Amino acid sequence: MVNSFFPKTYDEALELLDQRQMILMAGGTDLMVKKRNWAGLAPLLDRDVLFISELKELRYIRKSGGFIHIGSMTTLEDLLENELTPEILRKAVLLMASPGIRHIATIGGNIGNASPAGDSLPVLYILDAKIVVDGKGTERMVPIEEFITGPGKTALADREMIKEIVINDFKFDTVHYEKIGGRKSDAISKVSFAGGATYRNGRIDDIRLAFGAVAPVVVRNRKLEGTLKGMEARNLVSAVENLQQGYGKFITPIDDQRSTAEYRSKVCSNIIDRFIKKAGDAV
Amino acid sequence: MADISRSIKKQDTYGKTSGSIEYISDMKIEGALHARTLRSTMARARIKGIRLPELPEGYYIIDRNDVPGMNRVKIIFDDMPVFAEEVVKYIGEPILLVVGEERAVIKDVIDAIVVEYEPLEPEFGYVDSVIHYDYEKGNAEKYFDGSCRIVSGEYSTGYQEHIYLEPQGIIGLYENGKATVIGSMQCPYYIKNAVIQAMGCDDDMVRIIQAATGGAFGGKEEFPSLIGCQVAVAAKKTGKPVRLIYDRVEDIETTTKRHPSLIKFQAAVDEENNIKAMKVHVSLDSGAYIGLSGVVLQRAMIAASGVYTIENMSVSGDVYETNTVPNGAFRGFGAPQMFFGIEMFINHVAKEIGEDNLNFRKRHLAKQGDATSTGGKFRDPIIMGKMIDKVMDMSGYEAKRKEYSGRNDFRGVGMSWFLHGCGFTGSGEQDHIKAVVRIRKNTDDTVTVLAANTEMGQGAFTTLRKIAAGVLEIPVERVIYNNPDTDLVPDSGPTVASRTVMVVGGLIARAALRLKEQWIDGKEILIEERYKQPEYVQWDDKTLTGDAYPGYSWGVNVAEVEVDPVTYEVNMKGLWGVYDIGKSIDDRIIEGQIEGGLLQGVAYGTIEVMDTKDGKIRQRNVTDYIIPTASDCVNVESVVMDNPFPLGPFGAKGAGELPLVGGAPAVALAIENAIGRKVRKIPATPEYIMELLENG
Amino acid sequence: MAEIKFILNKEEVTVDTDPTKRLLDVLREDFGMTGVKEGCGEGECGACSVLVNGEVVSSCLMPAGNAVGKEIMTIEGFAETERYKVIHQAYEDEGAVQCGFCIPGMVIATESLLNKNPNPTEEEIRDGLSGNLCRCTGYNMIVRAVQRAAERGNGLW
Repeated sequence: MVNSFFPKTYDEALELLDQRQMILMAGGTDLMVKKRNWAGLAPLLDRDVLFISELKELRYIRKSGGFIHIGSMTTLEDLLENELTPEILRKAVLLMASPGIRHIATIGGNIGNASPAGDSLPVLYILDAKIVVDGKGTERMVPIEEFITGPGKTALADREMIKEIVINDFKFDTVHYEKIGGRKSDAISKVSFAGGATYRNGRIDDIRLAFGAVAPVVVRNRKLEGTLKGMEARNLVSAVENLQQGYGKFITPIDDQRSTAEYRSKVCSNIIDRFIKKAGDAV
Repeated sequence: MADISRSIKKQDTYGKTSGSIEYISDMKIEGALHARTLRSTMARARIKGIRLPELPEGYYIIDRNDVPGMNRVKIIFDDMPVFAEEVVKYIGEPILLVVGEERAVIKDVIDAIVVEYEPLEPEFGYVDSVIHYDYEKGNAEKYFDGSCRIVSGEYSTGYQEHIYLEPQGIIGLYENGKATVIGSMQCPYYIKNAVIQAMGCDDDMVRIIQAATGGAFGGKEEFPSLIGCQVAVAAKKTGKPVRLIYDRVEDIETTTKRHPSLIKFQAAVDEENNIKAMKVHVSLDSGAYIGLSGVVLQRAMIAASGVYTIENMSVSGDVYETNTVPNGAFRGFGAPQMFFGIEMFINHVAKEIGEDNLNFRKRHLAKQGDATSTGGKFRDPIIMGKMIDKVMDMSGYEAKRKEYSGRNDFRGVGMSWFLHGCGFTGSGEQDHIKAVVRIRKNTDDTVTVLAANTEMGQGAFTTLRKIAAGVLEIPVERVIYNNPDTDLVPDSGPTVASRTVMVVGGLIARAALRLKEQWIDGKEILIEERYKQPEYVQWDDKTLTGDAYPGYSWGVNVAEVEVDPVTYEVNMKGLWGVYDIGKSIDDRIIEGQIEGGLLQGVAYGTIEVMDTKDGKIRQRNVTDYIIPTASDCVNVESVVMDNPFPLGPFGAKGAGELPLVGGAPAVALAIENAIGRKVRKIPATPEYIMELLENG
Repeated sequence: MAEIKFILNKEEVTVDTDPTKRLLDVLREDFGMTGVKEGCGEGECGACSVLVNGEVVSSCLMPAGNAVGKEIMTIEGFAETERYKVIHQAYEDEGAVQCGFCIPGMVIATESLLNKNPNPTEEEIRDGLSGNLCRCTGYNMIVRAVQRAAERGNGLW
């Protein structure tokens, strides 16, 4: 049986984390399934456990200086209820899991789990999220695309935990979020997409696209996004084919028990078309 | 007297909403040991040896060597062993149980057991036929000689897993030479007969008690016989009660499912656009053991002409054994597969010959007096004409179909017509089940109905009591029906095949009538009633000819869908149903059967995906095997039309399975209308729809 | 092992157990709350639903250690309340209960929904129940039961 620790303060948590290798237990919604054991038996954990979901210092949503700061232990339900939550993030969270999971699942946990199909991730990518990682005396900020390094893998070092997520506080003029799962709710994504656009004088000022569940990590490509900058919104549709071809190189889905690579690729292609048309029509 | 259809309160609602009713995994039995199954990891292999770790005191291994009687589970075709013998035939096959007090220790023991396998070549696909049936009606071959236009079609259906919310669970006890088995089940007497065979004991040395059962749908028809035998054997060996509760992954991976199928049709169409003859072949995948696959095949074959009258038919079928999990009963029992096939085919024939499909189907629709597929007779009034008009009216079908066919916006409507033969196929009731019920008037003037049929949510507690009360003309509250205990109730047959109300309820009604005639206040009176096959029901089991069923229930469904052209997902926009089940014994209960069954059928046609790779099921938990949530369904508008059946209590026929049968073809036809492509396979997943649209 | 202190069905309780154990197992085995069911063990089916500080949570996903200091209510505790009576009556009147295995979870989810949103739309009801699987009823009769309960709520929520 492993030891469990219940730090009362954030500093105490960092102190404990510094002393030994620990598993971070946030809401438990991923860990308790990944490590599940038979009924009545404790999960198959091989390291001591640090219970962090009750650290109130990590549960907040604040606006300051053009940024929104979200504490890592903020639950998905907290995100739904707070008016500071960007619209597109709210859209994504509403389609995630179910109430019984959203009440305890945390944003930090979702990021730390780094599932290729993580539903909040494409949104965080287009919001230029930065992950504040903390260990005893070693705070650093890592852009999300550098933080998540592979399926289930992050740049989190041994004695570190996710403290905060920082996103830019700007609003897109057009947003689009899609999640394709096996059913309308409570499903693991086959494909997910987050897109946003802002305009200036009828032209694209900033446009972002991110795809989830179709590669080892979220696919976002600033170069391809850049090719659309300055284009007249009503001509945007002419760029669809190039974008489809361009993204085609980075979208590398697999066949698995949920879907096929062919389907996932085709749907991404179709979504590009749908989003670009929507972004083009919005002005 | 109030119309029996009027709904009443069920007796167990409070127990269920308050969480106080105990299901098998909730029961605490003094001194019970836990059990866990060690399973084959090979699809087909010879077991060369099993290396066991040293067992701590109080821990036991239970395997084939401990089975006192026959190591075969009694399920129509007795090929499934209680515990695997030399050759294992599917991934997940039970080899032995580890039994003891602490689950953590059991886990350590199981993890330490090493099974040495000699791999054998597994077989998959429709290759190894183990059962073959065929029947003829008229002379079909004649029409395939070149005089008629031949239209062909091939259709396939996938697995369906029950996902009853309560996983399988059973407890075995053994005392003074008598085995008692308590568990989640549909058929106490099936389990009793199986345990007698496995224990090699006398009839009165086995007692089976049904616990509150959290859903079944056929998944607890024959499967519990396997685990019932296992825990009875374990209880005898250990001298303690043994508790075997499956977890969900184990349940999905290793219990019976709906048979996947491949159905081939050929129709010979004459110059007047009439189908003169049909040839049909059904292939079913039984998995590693046959069990009751032969009966599923029969029902599928008998349904080969659907609701249509085809004068000449040549129907054959094969059950193929494969090294995958054995398949078994699931609501509909061969009919959902066949009705998907025949409804798609009849529409495809109409399309092929260029006739409006509604006219085409109406022209071939069976009428009262017509010969059935097996040369029996539709003796009773058929009100399908009225039902079709009603469902079309309710749904706006005709206008929508015209509108959606013309447009390119991926909206569509589809209509399915279907029936379900009520009760056991052919001579099953008369030759095998021989149902008996008793009804006992108590001295306090309450009445206890004694039958082995089980409440599993479908309302048997209520409907059977209402029937007795209705005939006796006493308040329903004075009629008692409890979970069956084979020591206390006679064998009224299994709770399957849509027979509970029609057959068992019919027996109860007859017994109640006799009781009424003999009623004396304050006196205890016991009446027994035995099943008698109606004389006109003649069936030849060898040639599969005659009346396959004493009566039929009928249904029509309309489904409206919108397919997303970007994601190919199917969004349900509307569902309508009109049903003839003779007479509703309780309107809300029937509504519950309709809504639940229809959603199962629709999901079978769209989102329930299960396949195997090298014999291993790929969708092994409820995350991957998807059933609908509350967000995935639409409101259903349904109507039940009375058409009293003379042999059913108060005119009732079977209603349990019918509602599922029409769901998949209705939604598949709607998808066809929406995308303008022929659907030949279910589940019609977004991946399949994309394939259809891409390949033109 | 640790001492886990929380409030269970309005009573202060303590249990000495491994904090990583599932709250589901602790409730069923240490406290005999068998109304909390295991339908899947992976947070998908909702049969294990309990109220944590008034909100529905799948107890098979929650380690017991996260229950410390919280108000946990199982169906057994909820069945003692006035709100339960209204919900129960609505479920009974609408014929929403078949095999019953999903029902304690559905009742808990209903309470959690109405507690936050006393007059939900049909879509909000379906979303509120989206974490509770039912195989028997096809959901619509349960949705109608929740609507009925909300209508009859009469200031209770």
